[in-house]
Amino acid sequence: MKLAKQIMILAALVGLFAAADIYIYFICTKRLMTDDGTERRTSSIEVSDYLPFDENSNIVNIKDTLPLTGELPVIDGAEGLYPVYSAFVNAVYPEGSVEFDGSDFTPESKLQMRNTLKAYKGVVDGNADIAVCAAPSAEQLSYAEEMGAELEFVPIGRDAFVFMVNSANPVDSLTANEIREIYSGKYKNWSKLGGEKLPINPLQRLAGSGSQSVFLKFMNGLETVPNYSGWRGSPIGFSFRYYVTGMRENDGVKILSLNGVYPDKESISKGEYPICVDFYAVYDRRNTNPNIPTLIDWFLSENGQRIIEETGYVPIK
Amino acid sequence: MSDKTFRRLLAAVTAAGTLITAALVIYTAVLYKNASIIEFIAGGR
Repeated sequence: MKLAKQIMILAALVGLFAAADIYIYFICTKRLMTDDGTERRTSSIEVSDYLPFDENSNIVNIKDTLPLTGELPVIDGAEGLYPVYSAFVNAVYPEGSVEFDGSDFTPESKLQMRNTLKAYKGVVDGNADIAVCAAPSAEQLSYAEEMGAELEFVPIGRDAFVFMVNSANPVDSLTANEIREIYSGKYKNWSKLGGEKLPINPLQRLAGSGSQSVFLKFMNGLETVPNYSGWRGSPIGFSFRYYVTGMRENDGVKILSLNGVYPDKESISKGEYPICVDFYAVYDRRNTNPNIPTLIDWFLSENGQRIIEETGYVPIK
Repeated sequence: MSDKTFRRLLAAVTAAGTLITAALVIYTAVLYKNASIIEFIAGGR
């Protein structure tokens, strides 16, 4: 009798751990793995896919000449805009100006891809001369002010800020107000919005990233529910259109229409899509490198704007 | 089985279970940190 009880206790303990592990695996771990059981790709894109001066590169290959003299500006920026500024460098910089060690750019390279947070900091701290990014966060502006930087923002292109869901989600369109109410916690279940009876899992991005800064402006000061507030539901997230359709194309996600307008090049260029955002060439006015204005003027030239358009963004001119 | 053996077995099962669960949680956290938002949504439903 005693032995049977002891075995039952041990079996119950093993069962408890097994149940916990199976729950964690099926609710969380499996979701982060691909169908063949490998880890899903990391958040960073493959830098080597968009290298300048590489005949196998995915960037737009347009060549031009510019009267650049002396120190070439270091160009850095957002991950999603990397194909654009890599193509800029490819078009007007000499080949030896970019050094890539197989996994990242060396500190001496005139092209960097350190993402929005570090690119803004780099311009303020003097580690980068031009950042190609979306609008800054309040913290980034505050840091620039604190350091005495005089940031100049020159709009060079445009894209749509988009919301996306799993492709199996029957919801295709939401209003801006519905999305605000999802993120502020009023709508908690997709069934209230024409979807399945599943909790809504509203996802946010890293603080200070370009898309998170645009999202916070979109929320207009409304308090948001905690990030990753549920694993058992169906998620909604946001990004820039080109990042979703061009760089990280994935059949498992679909972009939502907003207020009945789908974000494509036409609706963005006509201003019909409700959240169109400019992206900028950002520099510090204290930086006296004479090549900076020359380069930025070229970004706005016919060839510069062609690169933006052929990459997949919407030109500003 | 004696009480001493039972306690040892209980401790061994608890330790092994805790280790496996902790490893799974850590592995999931690493995957989560590295997953892009697009992949995360695509992996959901």
